[in-house]
Amino acid sequence: MIQRFNYTGREKIVRKNLSITIKRENDKITSFVLDRLDLQGLNLPPDADTWIEAYYRSELKRFDCGTVTNLKLPLVGELSDMAYTENLKFRILIAERQNRKILAHADRLAPEEPAGKEFILPVDFGGDLGNMIWTVKYEGDDGGPVLFINRKIPNIENIAKHDPMFFVYVYPVVIREILTYMIFVEGVDSVSDPSSEWHKKWLKFSCILGITPPQVLNPEHDNFDKDAASNWIDAVARAFCDKYVSKFNELINQLEKTP
Amino acid sequence: MIAIRIMTDEGENEFSNYFNQLKSDSGYPRPDLSTPPYSEEFCPRVMINETKQFQSKLELAKYLDDFFTQSNLKREDVLGRNGLWTWLAYLWFDQLAPFDNSGNRLIGEMAKYICSSDYRDYYRHFVAGPYMIYSLHGKNNSRIFLYSPVYEHNDFIEQIASRQFLIAHRNLVEAFSILYLDSASGKPKRGAQSRKKPGNIRRFVRIVQQFELTYDLYEMRPEQIIDLLPPEFDAWRRNP
Repeated sequence: MIQRFNYTGREKIVRKNLSITIKRENDKITSFVLDRLDLQGLNLPPDADTWIEAYYRSELKRFDCGTVTNLKLPLVGELSDMAYTENLKFRILIAERQNRKILAHADRLAPEEPAGKEFILPVDFGGDLGNMIWTVKYEGDDGGPVLFINRKIPNIENIAKHDPMFFVYVYPVVIREILTYMIFVEGVDSVSDPSSEWHKKWLKFSCILGITPPQVLNPEHDNFDKDAASNWIDAVARAFCDKYVSKFNELINQLEKTP
Repeated sequence: MIAIRIMTDEGENEFSNYFNQLKSDSGYPRPDLSTPPYSEEFCPRVMINETKQFQSKLELAKYLDDFFTQSNLKREDVLGRNGLWTWLAYLWFDQLAPFDNSGNRLIGEMAKYICSSDYRDYYRHFVAGPYMIYSLHGKNNSRIFLYSPVYEHNDFIEQIASRQFLIAHRNLVEAFSILYLDSASGKPKRGAQSRKKPGNIRRFVRIVQQFELTYDLYEMRPEQIIDLLPPEFDAWRRNP
């Protein structure tokens, strides 16, 4: 399990207390809007400086959001002068004005998708994966999973969205991999109220599929049951396949028609 | 002079095949990838000097920065265009992978020539990497990274440019440069890369990564960041 210590005493700003959306022109990201930042309950000095940073690779741009008690919201940030806008992440920092000590933060924030739709698995077609078709990297919000698909495969975006063979072959394995990582590499600190936002989303996903997780999903916990965890992962993958049985049937039809 | 081009996926495959052939045969003929379908002309059409020789990464980066500025191309117009960087590496390949005295090519890993989208590799590219650093930090603060020949990677790039938080912060890079650059020679101070010497560059990275959790370094001046460093860095501070 990945241990997380907080020796600095920084407060964590949770994802649900803020809202970041992006704006596009001609399909290109040009700006973002921070329209909500709820700092209540964090015990911060009223004059502490608040910043939001957009970043990816070597690019970083910082915007002044005012002070804790005088936030400049909604804040519109211009991004068209940044080189890599498609995979931008955001960081919010609150720092003491005098000694520049960080008092609170939120990092690796991805902007929200439009229409309030919640995506648990961002897909990135930009990666150079050599001869691999896909891989999962944990570079998303809060260290969450991102599915990278090899851009060298012709028409891959269309295939990934619509092809039943890709759907049936790839996504169940991706789900297994992510849940295995979540439990056996990171460990879930609390199934009922996980501190990791992406753990919370994936646990909710299993519940939506009708599969209730075991009470303990932390291998370091005394009551952790490895078999129960493995069975749960299997059940979630099966439930996903059952939900999308139409894709399975579509694939069978395609194969039957193939001479 | 030649019009700059964008390498296509097909061109990248051919370049990759050529690269692999060179490992067993240094004299393997270079394919012509400056034609369709291997590459397509960059829009707008701008001409570059294909025979230009560069004595250092700094000279290469300055040339490109001036070239793009004169061509009215902004940093954000070119930096994410991997095919452009791959084609430029192909164009100047003979100086990026020169022959040694024994007649063998000095070839590095593929990511140094074929520009990768992978965040773990992109800064290693022999053309895109220097330009990325120079266009972000300017001539003076780039020297510490770009002093070496165009065909050599160095530990200053590896330790700083591989870390988003470090390479993106101008004040941090300036502090790094103040500590480790010998301003008289324009080259790194002796021992900066030593793993044994107190306050070496790896220690700088480690300490700053701890500061990152505590201080808002972006708002601090380079001198303030240097003042935060522990006594093991005194020798570097005293040695202007």
